Amino acid sequence: MTAALLGFAVIFALALLRIPLAFAMGGVGIVGMGLTRGWDPAFASTAQVVYETGFAYTLSVIPLFILMGNFVARAGLAKELFEAAFAFIGHFRGGLAHATVVACAGFGAICGSSIATAATMGKVAYPSMKKLGYSDSLSMGVIAAGGTLGIMIPPSTIMVIYGIITETNIGKLFAAGVIPGLLSALLMMVGITWITARDPAHAPAGERSTWPQRWQALRGIWGVLLLVIVVLGGIYGGIFTATEGAGFGAAGAFLFALARRRLTWAILSEVLIESARTTAMLFTLLIAATLFANFVNFTSMPNDLKNLITQSGMSPTMIIVAMMGVYVVLGTVMEELTMVLLTIPLFFPIVTALGFDPVWFGVLIVMVVQIGLISPPVGMNMFVLNALLPGVGLGAIYRGCWPFVFVLVVMLALLVAFPQLSLWLPSLMK
Amino acid sequence: MKKLLPTLFGLLSGGALFAIMALTFFDVAGRKLLDNSIPGSLEVTELLMVVVIFAALPLVSLRGEHVLFDSLDGYLSPHMLRIQKAVIHLIVAAALLALGALMWNTGSQFLQTGETTAQLKLLKAPFIYGMAVLCGITGIIHLVLMVKPPRDLAEGEGAAL
Repeated sequence: MTAALLGFAVIFALALLRIPLAFAMGGVGIVGMGLTRGWDPAFASTAQVVYETGFAYTLSVIPLFILMGNFVARAGLAKELFEAAFAFIGHFRGGLAHATVVACAGFGAICGSSIATAATMGKVAYPSMKKLGYSDSLSMGVIAAGGTLGIMIPPSTIMVIYGIITETNIGKLFAAGVIPGLLSALLMMVGITWITARDPAHAPAGERSTWPQRWQALRGIWGVLLLVIVVLGGIYGGIFTATEGAGFGAAGAFLFALARRRLTWAILSEVLIESARTTAMLFTLLIAATLFANFVNFTSMPNDLKNLITQSGMSPTMIIVAMMGVYVVLGTVMEELTMVLLTIPLFFPIVTALGFDPVWFGVLIVMVVQIGLISPPVGMNMFVLNALLPGVGLGAIYRGCWPFVFVLVVMLALLVAFPQLSLWLPSLMK
Repeated sequence: MKKLLPTLFGLLSGGALFAIMALTFFDVAGRKLLDNSIPGSLEVTELLMVVVIFAALPLVSLRGEHVLFDSLDGYLSPHMLRIQKAVIHLIVAAALLALGALMWNTGSQFLQTGETTAQLKLLKAPFIYGMAVLCGITGIIHLVLMVKPPRDLAEGEGAAL
C-alpha cells in the first residue's frame, strides 16, 4: 500500500511541477514496477503495453468518434439544429436559451466532446442571444452547460476512455447515457425557466414561428437525425460494435460535409490531422495510465483499500456519495481528464468490490466531469467560451455557470439515488 | 525542414486515419449488406492505428498539446518559468529517446522471430521500428523546444473532452 500511495504522491508532485501528465504517470508506473518487480520485467512490460495499445483494433473507436465529431462541427449543422429548436420553442420566455439547450443535446448525439459542442454552439447561439438582448451571464451559462451534454449523450469520448481503462462495454455505457443526458437537458431548461422567472430582464421572448416555418426548419436537420439513428441505433440494436458504428458514423459525417460543400482540401486535411493529434495525445495518456495501473495492481493497494472500506462499516452508498463529493470538489480546480485518469485506478476496484455496476459508475464519472467542466474557477468549457467570445469576460461566464453547476449536482444526486435511470436502457440490450 | 516535417507527419497520420475510416466503412457495409468483408481489414486497421498515433505524436509535442497542469504558472517569474519549461522538455526528451531505444530493441526481437499479422502475413517489425523512430524524433523535437518553446495554445486547442 505504501508503494502505491507514494506513487500517487509523486505523480501529483510531478504534475504540479508542470510535467505533462502522461510522462508523470508513465514514468512513475515504470519506475514503480522497476523497484518492486525488477527492471527487466518493468521494461519488458512497458514495451508490451506500448505495442499492444498501438496495435489494437478496438481502440480505433477513439479516433473514429473524434473524427465524426470534427466533421460534423465543420458541416455547419449546428446552425440548422439551433434554428429548428428555436422554431418550436423560441417564443417562450428565455426561448433562445431553451433552444440552445435542445440544440446542444441534438449536437451531442453526433459529437462526443463537451468542449467542441460548447464552442460550436457558442458561435451559433451567442450572436442571436446578444441581438435579442439576453444577459451575457445567462447566455454563457446556457452554452457552457449545454455543451457538457455532448459527453453524456452518446457518443462520448470520456465514456470510451472509461470503457477502455475499466474494460466496461462501450455500447452499454452509451445506452446508459441517453436518459441521464436527456434528463440533464430537461433540468437545465427548468433552471432557465427559474432564472428568467426571477429576473425577466435576462431573456426576452422571441417571435413565434408558424407551422410551415417549423417544418421548413426541421427539413434542415434530417441528415443529423439519420446519422444518429444509424450509428447509435446500430450500436444499441447490436448490429454494430462501437468500433464499427464509429467508422460508419465518421464516414457518414464525412459524406454529409462533402454533400453540403463544406469540405475543401485544406479543411479536410485540417480535420484529419486535428483528429489524429487528439488521438495521439489521448493514446500517450492511455499508455501511461495502463503502465501506472499495472504498477498499482501489483502492489497490495487494491486489496488493502477494499479491506479498509469493508472494515470501516460505511454503507456502500455513503462511500459512493463520498467519492462524488471528492470529484465535485476536485473538478473545480483540476483538469477533468487528469482527474479521471488519476482516480480510476484508486476508486474503480472499490466500486466493483462493493458490488456496484461499472456502467452506472461510468455514468456518474461522466456527470462529475460535466460538473467539473463548468464549475469555476477551472473548467475547460468556460475557458473555451472566454477565448472564443473575448468581449464577454470570465466574470460573466462564472456568474452564468453557477446556477447550472447546481442543476447538474442535483442531476448527479438523482443518478446516485436512482441507478435505474442509467441502467434501465442498457439492461434491454442483448 | 521547419515546414517539411510537420507536413510529412500530418500526411502520414491524417492519411492513415482517413484510410481507417474508409476501411471500416466498406468492411462493415460489405459484411452487413453483401455478406462479404474485406480480407484482413482488422489487421490493416491495427497497422494503420500505429501510424495514426505515432506519426501524430511529434505534432502534439510541436504544438505543446500534452495535458499538463499549468495553473501555477502565474506564480513564477517569466524567467523561472522559462527555465522550468526547458528542464521539463529535457526530461520528456530523455524519456522519449529511452522509449525509442526500448521499442527499437523490441522491433529487433520481432524481426528475429519474424512475427507477422495472422491473415495477410505482413511483417510487424517495420511498424515497431517506426514506433521507435517516431518516439526518437519526438524526443529530438523536445530538445529543440528547450531553446525554442512552442507558442502558447488558445484555450481548448487540442483538448479532448
